[in-house]
Amino acid sequence: MASRRRMLLKVIILGDSGVGKTSLMNQYVNRKFSNQYKATIGADFLTKEVQFEDRLFTLQIWDTAGQERFQSLGVAFYRGADCCVLVYDVNVMKSFDNLNHWREEFLIQASPSDPENFPFVVLGNKIDVDGGNSRVISEKKAKAWCASKGNIPYFETSAKEGFNVEAAFQCIAKNALKNEPEEEMYLPDTIEVGGGGRQQRSTGCEC
Amino acid sequence: MSESQDLLSYPPIDPVNFDLIIVGTGLSESIVAAAASAAGKTILHLDPNSFYGSHFASLSFLDFTSYLTSPNPLPAAVTTTDSEDVVVDLLHQPICSDAEISCYDEYSFLCENSRKFNIDLGGPRALFSADRTVDLLLKSGAAQYLEFKGIDESFVYEPNGGLANVPDSRGAIFRDKKLSLKEKNQLMRFFKLVQQHLDDTQEEKISEEDMEIPFVSFLEKMKLPPKIKSILLYAIALVDYDQDSNEVCKDLLKTKDGIDCLAQYSSSVGRFPNAPGALLYPIYGEGELPQAFCRRAAVKGCIYVLRMPVVSLLMDKATGLYKGVRLASGQDLYSQQLILDPSFTIPSPLSLSPRDFPCERLQMWSQRDIKGMVARGICITRSSIKPAVTNCSVVYPPRSLYPEQMTSIKSLQIGPNLAVCPEGTFILYFSTLCNNADEGKNLLKAAMNALLTLPVSGNTESVSSVQSDSEDTKPIVLWSALYIQKLIVSNFELISSSSTPDGNLNYNDLLDAAEKLFRQMFPNEEFFPKVTTSPEEPTDEDDNGLTLDS
Repeated sequence: MASRRRMLLKVIILGDSGVGKTSLMNQYVNRKFSNQYKATIGADFLTKEVQFEDRLFTLQIWDTAGQERFQSLGVAFYRGADCCVLVYDVNVMKSFDNLNHWREEFLIQASPSDPENFPFVVLGNKIDVDGGNSRVISEKKAKAWCASKGNIPYFETSAKEGFNVEAAFQCIAKNALKNEPEEEMYLPDTIEVGGGGRQQRSTGCEC
Repeated sequence: MSESQDLLSYPPIDPVNFDLIIVGTGLSESIVAAAASAAGKTILHLDPNSFYGSHFASLSFLDFTSYLTSPNPLPAAVTTTDSEDVVVDLLHQPICSDAEISCYDEYSFLCENSRKFNIDLGGPRALFSADRTVDLLLKSGAAQYLEFKGIDESFVYEPNGGLANVPDSRGAIFRDKKLSLKEKNQLMRFFKLVQQHLDDTQEEKISEEDMEIPFVSFLEKMKLPPKIKSILLYAIALVDYDQDSNEVCKDLLKTKDGIDCLAQYSSSVGRFPNAPGALLYPIYGEGELPQAFCRRAAVKGCIYVLRMPVVSLLMDKATGLYKGVRLASGQDLYSQQLILDPSFTIPSPLSLSPRDFPCERLQMWSQRDIKGMVARGICITRSSIKPAVTNCSVVYPPRSLYPEQMTSIKSLQIGPNLAVCPEGTFILYFSTLCNNADEGKNLLKAAMNALLTLPVSGNTESVSSVQSDSEDTKPIVLWSALYIQKLIVSNFELISSSSTPDGNLNYNDLLDAAEKLFRQMFPNEEFFPKVTTSPEEPTDEDDNGLTLDS
């Protein structure tokens, strides 16, 4: 049972509108990037098979579907997350300042059983913009914030150029996998009426 | 309800013109939002609450209590002087009233575990495995966000105080220990008759005259004993009113409709191999359903803004027609059409409108009729009403509790394996239609007392010590709530309004009302057209591929 229930890992990506959440997902899963920004429409979740220590897992990466724009992600979005990715734009101060809000919102809504050790990963995106000349958050500052929140792993990425995206998601997958909830919340005999994308999903945290 | 008080300030909403603005994220509103988004409409979906679901929400223990006891008043309307439009302030009239909350024991445990509770505001409610709700969840794509579990057993409360199984299949009839051999044969013969009638290859049909007579008369004609009649009418067809009493019966069921109910019930049993009975319940509670439809809508471009009350309507000065809404933030937004949560109305008569403002249609809209009321009750217990059964439904047929009981009572017990309450606790939901608050509450109290022990306040300890000695212990209630909810059905008017939760156990009528509202608003659009899945989206599998996670 334990191995089976770990086969599907739910990862959610949070952060201000426009920081590149959808682009990061797309770059990682489809190796595609679109320069044309539109507030997310049509993105739901993407899945990717990952191998880790000879075992195959399905990483299910959930987009905010635009519901983050007015802080209107419902509790259902957060349920059962195995890892939470916080994204900001290194060129926009406010998106960095808001990381704290997103982290707290996650902890309230998902209420993981062990909030201290719940796996977050922080991504500073868009490091390619203007050759790095327009960035307002230094790597040092970002790392200091991550350290103060229980040593959250930190990656600087460019979804546009595909820089560091693979490495970041490998870390995300690894941490999602490590998120072993202390309370076993496996629900046997779960019925999915559609037999769609969520079979064998794990229920990582009790919320 | 998010505890996070220091929310980021919202940017102004952009654009300011929409095809449709919807206020409230209840099930009907969310279904219409998903359907209209799928049809390519531009939609703004607002909710004054910090959570999704409105009257269909599932709330934590503390949020549930405060929702019932202190409904949020609307913030004062922003007064701006120069507007081209007539500004009509909205009134918020909570649909729930007469709340009576009692805590008998372990209050601190309940508070400490508040967030482990997902308590349904509109319970009891469940899905039949083969009903239209499941089809809609598949058709709309909302199913991919949801997981269910089967309700283990369905019971009928018997006047002697026992619980009888609802015999829902041939196997169940055979196994049933409470039916006599004669009763078993009668029931089998009847099921066979219905089966033949529904089977197109069979010649033998129920006559057309019989199809039009009351189902109760047909059952008598078939010489079914009262006990079986009662099970078929109240536990399988789930009718509300005493079918034997012409004066009070407001929902006399015809044979053809009764047969449809039986057909739905029997095709529900066994549709999913790991659902033991006919009913399904969503993991984390009913509130997951509106959220799934809202996510569907968001994926198709619908804009979501929670914590945003609408304070006024903007009406055209000359025509008296709807133009837009004013938000609590002061922003004015415009749309072709508006759907309002049924708890909103306008003051009557309109006091501040200009003298020549044609307000007749608006006045008419505000006087929509309330279709009756439903009493709802909730109990939290430490043990199950039936040993070794976690999730079950119970129907109390009319007159099973006392002779004056004219309506049936529906009840649902949900346990921790559905992630709605902490380990070692159970939530029981009760509902019945009623004419007034006292009648409804008395019925529910009788239903609770029949299966549970409600300690007398201040006397908790002695009750529990007495109870623990006896073998046949009724579960002791830690906490209970009773409230009365108005019944309002969605309405297509100058301003459309959505439906409140109804008195049924399933969602069929609510879905029909939502679909009807959608078709009235968008007569040229299909209700959830069959979509070609984009490569980005996970393939949604064919609708018949009902694979299960067991």
